[in-house]
Amino acid sequence: MQSHALESIFSKLYSETSLVYLTKYLNVILIPKIRSNQCHCLHFPNRNIQTRKYASHRDAPKSFSKAVSDAEKLVGYPTSFLSLRCLLSDEVSNIAYHMRKLVGTKHPLLKTARGMVFDGKNNLQIRGLLVMLVSKAAGPNSQAPYTEQDMISGVYPSQRALAEIIEVIYTASLIHKGIVNLKDIVPEDGPVIDMEFGNKMAVLSGDYLLSSACSGLAKLGNPDVVDLVARAIGDMMTAEFTEFTDTFEKTNTSQISTSFTDWLKQTRLSLGSLLAHSCWSAMTLAGHSKYLEEMAFSFGENVIYAQQLCKEITSFTNQDEQTSQSPGSLAPVVLFRELASEDEMSYLINYSPDSVYSYNKLLNVVRRTGALEKCQDLCVQYRNKAIASLDCFKESDAKLALINMVTAISSIK
Amino acid sequence: MSFKVLKETRHFNKWTQNVIEQLRACEFLIGNSEDYRYAVHKRSQNVVICSSSSCHSHRLCPTHRTSLIYTTLNANTTSILALPSTCQYSNVQAVRAFSTVGKDEPDVYVDIDPYKLVEADMASLANDIKKQLNTQETLLKTMSHYYFDGKGKTFRPLVALLMSKACNISTNISDRVLSKQRTVAIVAEMIHTASLVHDDVIDASDTRRGQCSLNKMYGQRKSILVGDYILSQASIALASTGNPQVITILSSVLEDLVSGEFMQLGSKEDENERFSHYLKKTYKKTASLIANTCKAVAILGQCDDFMSEKAYQYGRNLGIAFQLVDDLLDFVSSELVMGKPTAADLKLGLATAPVLFAAQEFPELHPMIMRRFTVDGDVETARHLVAKSEGVQQTKLLASQHSQEAIKSLQEFRASDARLSLERLARILLERKS
Repeated sequence: MQSHALESIFSKLYSETSLVYLTKYLNVILIPKIRSNQCHCLHFPNRNIQTRKYASHRDAPKSFSKAVSDAEKLVGYPTSFLSLRCLLSDEVSNIAYHMRKLVGTKHPLLKTARGMVFDGKNNLQIRGLLVMLVSKAAGPNSQAPYTEQDMISGVYPSQRALAEIIEVIYTASLIHKGIVNLKDIVPEDGPVIDMEFGNKMAVLSGDYLLSSACSGLAKLGNPDVVDLVARAIGDMMTAEFTEFTDTFEKTNTSQISTSFTDWLKQTRLSLGSLLAHSCWSAMTLAGHSKYLEEMAFSFGENVIYAQQLCKEITSFTNQDEQTSQSPGSLAPVVLFRELASEDEMSYLINYSPDSVYSYNKLLNVVRRTGALEKCQDLCVQYRNKAIASLDCFKESDAKLALINMVTAISSIK
Repeated sequence: MSFKVLKETRHFNKWTQNVIEQLRACEFLIGNSEDYRYAVHKRSQNVVICSSSSCHSHRLCPTHRTSLIYTTLNANTTSILALPSTCQYSNVQAVRAFSTVGKDEPDVYVDIDPYKLVEADMASLANDIKKQLNTQETLLKTMSHYYFDGKGKTFRPLVALLMSKACNISTNISDRVLSKQRTVAIVAEMIHTASLVHDDVIDASDTRRGQCSLNKMYGQRKSILVGDYILSQASIALASTGNPQVITILSSVLEDLVSGEFMQLGSKEDENERFSHYLKKTYKKTASLIANTCKAVAILGQCDDFMSEKAYQYGRNLGIAFQLVDDLLDFVSSELVMGKPTAADLKLGLATAPVLFAAQEFPELHPMIMRRFTVDGDVETARHLVAKSEGVQQTKLLASQHSQEAIKSLQEFRASDARLSLERLARILLERKS
């Protein structure tokens, strides 16, 4: 391959500091690029530096980064790496070229790009890693369409490819969810024409990732897996049209119709389905039994419930962590609604998002009703359920790593 | 490529010069893209054209000079450079053939209505798609069903169903459409619709098929997500065929669609590359879906590689012809008939075949193509120049050549109503007004 061409692309990308977002964006686009099983791929030269960056970030709990790095070692190498072929593709250079225009606007595409590589919180690209660990924990199988020699660090090539596909799909969904409605644009976002352009880029790059994911899936040669993953994509999209989403788009915290069942459904659709179906698919690819498929599915689903509960509790109790998410949709508040008396509900109804005072009052009342505590209990329950579904696997390093990771991502600070 | 080689032959007499000009036009006409192959038409030796790679010889065979027939490019005839393929001097290795337009085969099947043959299958199509898209979420249901109202042309499923029948009769497995082939037809329409939804956001178009577009009604964000949803349900349907080869073939269409969209973002600096860029884009954005659908149903109909390739070629040529007609209608049709504003492509900055042809006659179009008709008055000027030029006729001519090629690829199929319908379809395609 023409190495000078590659070098020039790199130097072009890294020399311009204003293009730092773009570079990161490219990492996102490129790193999880699906490659065929035989294709040789290079490690991204800056990858190590970036990994260290994740690890030393102030918000990342120590135990979590250790769990991740231990786990990454177990499966041989991280899910993410760069394919030469992809870097030189027309599509990517096209995106790179056009992304310059976006720097300086508030298009969510930039935020998504930044967040994917450098989220700062406990939301790294762990899906692929979990899929590979589950694959490894399940071990080799005589029914698999491969021999044991095909395994690299205990993972079949198809399972490894699947892990990457999952990351690509997740990235694509984030990019597409970051598309803005042009009629809702406010002047601070930047010029409408730039925002429209950002949308264009978001549509195209998301489509590009999705189409590579689809061909990657097709290459796995297993229609059942295509079906499972397609269902997960369908669920992720469905999540954007539920009553739950609808309610909180209007950021009206006094809405009282939302129950914890709705919260569970929303979490399953938007996040759980992908991991659960991927874990299932990883078993299918190795020809494992129906029972193992079910257990892997249940593991994926429960991990997400535990992780999401933990995230939302943290988000609710630490005011600095305030996300764009409406507090009314956070699990503790959803539970609070079910437990609160009419009197206590008034704190929620009168809640004003801009006032610290009002926020503290709400926090206190949520604590008082026991909703927060119940949320923490639930988090532990789902974590235990996840760990219990691993009982079907023999004791191994991979299983231990899974337990460590699950514990880490569901530990409330 | 051959154009450049031929330029060096300028020292020849005026007559040769003339031939070169014609050749250049031909080259332009067929494009020089690698994947743009023409099958050798054995029957018509009088319509042989040199391929780009075969024009190494700087001299034209003197003995055959007189037998070199060429006609002018205007009117309804192809520019034809005829050399007996036995001529050693011409050094023709890869001969690309052209047939004259619709002259060799009389159009005797006028009475066949392609829709008739698969009417029952077509009638329940929209409902089956809606079933596939069913969901509890009301808004998602409304939005994803929006374009499957039965008002669309459903051209892709029609081709898929007819091709299924033609294949099944040829391989003697059935005289009907198999349920898996029907699934492929459904998937094709779903992929097509999903791509329309995304295209409308990218092109910021407010109308589609004469009605309000999804993005206009529900905003850009949800429209894109609905497109993804339709695609995911199409994948589920596709997976139900249980055939990994078919899944791979149709997944490759998605990659083509995206890469076609990317190609549309940029225009080529080089005037000669521009046409092949355009044709390649046309293949990726339109023909790939039709071609690969045909191939997929052929495989499901137990066709061998040779026949599947023929099915693919039919779809590919049909698809390109379809798009060429679409592109020329953009210039000749009125807003009312098309269901979308005319000269829409120009307004989007896209130079399609009529403009590219017109630019040969009116070089002042080139700078406008390069700046994507962004300067005030560009669109009007370009429209005017296209109307004055032979661009529309030449586009039609090119479309009819592809239509002929499509019909030729069907020769190996056993004669049947389905095959006749496919042939008929390739012909009426050229006459469509909307």
